[in-house]
Amino acid sequence: MFEYMEYNIAPWGASIAAYFFLIGTAGMVFTTAAAPNVFGAVAAPFAKFQKTGAIIALVLLAICVPLLILDLGQPSRFLYPILYFRWTSPLSWGAVFLPLFGLCIAGFIYGLLKQNRKLLRWTGIIGVLLALSMPLYTGLDLMVNQAREIWANPTIPILFVILSITSGAAVVALAMAFTGGPSADAARLLRYVLAFSLGITFWLILGLIMTMVYGSAELQQAWDVINSDYAIEFWGLSFVLGVLIPLVLVFGPMLVPAMQFAASPRMVTLAAVMGAVGAYSLRKVLLYAGQIPQIYY
Amino acid sequence: MTTLGLQAEPSYGVPGKKRWAMVIDLRRCIGCMACVTACKAEFDVPLGVWRTIVKVKDTGTYPNTRRNFMPRLCNHCDNPPCVRNCPTGATYKHEDGFVLQRYERCIACRTCIAACPFNARFVLPRSRTRVGISGVVDKCTFCAHRVAQGLVPACVQTCLGRARIFGDVNDPDSEVARIVATQKTVTLKSEKGTRPQVYYIKPDRVAVEQAASAPVSYAARADAAAFYRHNNGSRFFAGML
Repeated sequence: MFEYMEYNIAPWGASIAAYFFLIGTAGMVFTTAAAPNVFGAVAAPFAKFQKTGAIIALVLLAICVPLLILDLGQPSRFLYPILYFRWTSPLSWGAVFLPLFGLCIAGFIYGLLKQNRKLLRWTGIIGVLLALSMPLYTGLDLMVNQAREIWANPTIPILFVILSITSGAAVVALAMAFTGGPSADAARLLRYVLAFSLGITFWLILGLIMTMVYGSAELQQAWDVINSDYAIEFWGLSFVLGVLIPLVLVFGPMLVPAMQFAASPRMVTLAAVMGAVGAYSLRKVLLYAGQIPQIYY
Repeated sequence: MTTLGLQAEPSYGVPGKKRWAMVIDLRRCIGCMACVTACKAEFDVPLGVWRTIVKVKDTGTYPNTRRNFMPRLCNHCDNPPCVRNCPTGATYKHEDGFVLQRYERCIACRTCIAACPFNARFVLPRSRTRVGISGVVDKCTFCAHRVAQGLVPACVQTCLGRARIFGDVNDPDSEVARIVATQKTVTLKSEKGTRPQVYYIKPDRVAVEQAASAPVSYAARADAAAFYRHNNGSRFFAGML
């Protein structure tokens, strides 16, 4: 068979997958740091983590912004989505929320340095809302593409938020481990957060699988692509390593007395890190596999 | 349907409005690739990217085989998702139906490429030298500059077999409108709701396998394999080409 021409290259690659992961993680790390000021006593175990968390969120943001700008074909025009704002494009909203989020983190850090409780409360509340918008808008970036059925699914933004909670928890746990280890209260709270995020991820993945297995021809094609090109990432890294094993580690101590060892801060950190690996891998698979079925039609 | 952002209202069938459209008669296409060549020449389209392509499919098994040709280009949708997605208004829909690109405003975020159901968009490579425009998204324009001068698009002008027919589908006296009204035509991926304005006349069931094929067909597999080969294993955009 002769072919003089082929399809044009798929638009979004590794840097977008990395950006989606990092920006969601930054959002949830900041949420944890601001939690004592926003949610009160329930988040008190994270009080010691506030300064570290806010700085980590700022560092992650400092990685994300150049990553996103350099991925553009015209990096010098990075302000155009704000200057020529289009309300129909989630990317425009993201371009507005991103610097506002950075400002909130900076304000929060300033509030911590000056011990300004009012500033901490306001930047905390607004920052948490903006932090939530980070994974949400990246999910919306995919969801609005009606032509790519694996993405055009209202659960995608929710899934991205939930995955960010997991990866954020991993960074929080690691940061705490490097600064003397999380207290028993902080570890317990992190375990509850992980139980929530991993549990929902499990059901969302099942829903996604059902949608693809019993969906349209394009969705079935996407399922075929995932199981052939991305089987290891999807089943191995995302589902088994990223969800099932951490779920056992998180729920085990609640259900099986013999698994009390998994309640230790170290094991919670391990579960969170595995969950973060899965969170990255699942995003990458969805991003990549969502673009491939087009060449089959 | 309301107007979203800068997107012009859908104009198909609206009296007093133009709606440029194309009919591609697959019975007449002989796969000479003259349309692709004319397009490349008209716009200095660089190597490795295309505004229009003609997919070639061999179907059947020897000795009962058939070679089929499937010209593809931007479908200038009446409800284009690329326009809706663009964060800067670089992509817009002209009131006469063209979906066009403002190079000076494009940031090449490639969200329009992701939105397009027809793989009609690409990033102009940096290696382009003769024409100064690069690093932005480009696509077929239905040769809006020629149409404004009363000419037809370059691919239509050059088509040996008159497989490509262009005109105002809202004008009942135009050839395009007559064909769409009287012949059995199909559009690609009509289920996506984008209202494509490139109409195909099918030669037979087999030849449009590409447009409406079972998900795992020989043709689809071959296409995917060729796609991977073409991109040297890098299937995804990573920095400038």
